[in-house]
Amino acid sequence: METKPRTLVVYYCRNLRLFKNGEQKGFARSLPGLKLVAIPCSGKVEAHHLLKTLAGGADGVLVLACGEKACQYLEGSMRSRKRMDYARSWLRQIGIEQERLEFIHCPPMNREALEKTLKEFMSRLESFGTIPASAQVKTS
Amino acid sequence: MIVAELKQISEIRKMIDRYSSILVVGCDSCVAECASGGNRETMLLAAALRLSYKNDNKYPIITVACLDRQCVDDFIDRIAHQVPEHEVVLSLGCGAGVQALARVYTDKPIIPALDTLFIGETEMRGVWQENCLGCGQCKLGYFGAVCPVTRCSKKLMNGPCGGSKNGRCEVHPDIPCGWDMIIRRLDALGELDRLSEYVPPVDWSTSHSGGPRRVVREDQKP
Repeated sequence: METKPRTLVVYYCRNLRLFKNGEQKGFARSLPGLKLVAIPCSGKVEAHHLLKTLAGGADGVLVLACGEKACQYLEGSMRSRKRMDYARSWLRQIGIEQERLEFIHCPPMNREALEKTLKEFMSRLESFGTIPASAQVKTS
Repeated sequence: MIVAELKQISEIRKMIDRYSSILVVGCDSCVAECASGGNRETMLLAAALRLSYKNDNKYPIITVACLDRQCVDDFIDRIAHQVPEHEVVLSLGCGAGVQALARVYTDKPIIPALDTLFIGETEMRGVWQENCLGCGQCKLGYFGAVCPVTRCSKKLMNGPCGGSKNGRCEVHPDIPCGWDMIIRRLDALGELDRLSEYVPPVDWSTSHSGGPRRVVREDQKP
């Protein structure tokens, strides 16, 4: 019997240029449970997107944003970080680990740093378990 | 506009836990402007509720709708087809919106998701300031459009109390002194002479002290 891998949804800003055309599919397959969602700017991610993603079955959500001063839309990256803090405050209210939501200013075009971040986050999610804790899904 | 705040999810859950289908209804007017009950916040609360119930291994039906205004019947009618399909309506409208829904949908429990706070303005993004109490006898013309009833903590009508320091109220240093604002503004307008006129105390019978208020205009009636 094998435990199903944790589901991690990553919203990443397209302007980080982490993947060339079509590469992200292959990259997502390399880490079981990983789902990559490209967005025009991290500022497009609202607090309700983050909570909805968790409610929809994800065990964790990661937002990869450009540096605050590097945001093409000036405020997008900064606003995204604030929304992440707001969404975390909701998780605290609900009684779910706020660390299931993570926001990172990612260096552009740096796949190695991305892989390291994802592995660390995945192992953290393993320690948290599923939502709810009693719903440990197992596959044989 | 009406300024409100979302209630804690534990308080909302306490009121709706007995139902198995919930219609979450936002209001895209005042409470959208103060980021507490608009379309975004409605989706946020619905997602938070789904997550909260999921955490407790419960899965009620949660549907989202958002009205342009919850306090006008023409808009309220737009959820008429959804209301019968749900056991309860969770309203993100102000107190007026919640009561308007209750008046229209008489057989349905309507639960408020917001704490309605005050009539105010958006001072800057993320900051809302109370500046009208709805006292029923506006005297802003005398005071350079700064309301002493709301902006002065002591509601003084004929000059400052003497307790303010550096333009801040003695009640709390975060509160700007209303009378400091009044005098500075009238001085800038060159109309300080307006303050030489005696303003009688507020007649609170026209405010909420006189019971629920109602405006009736025959020319507007159908």
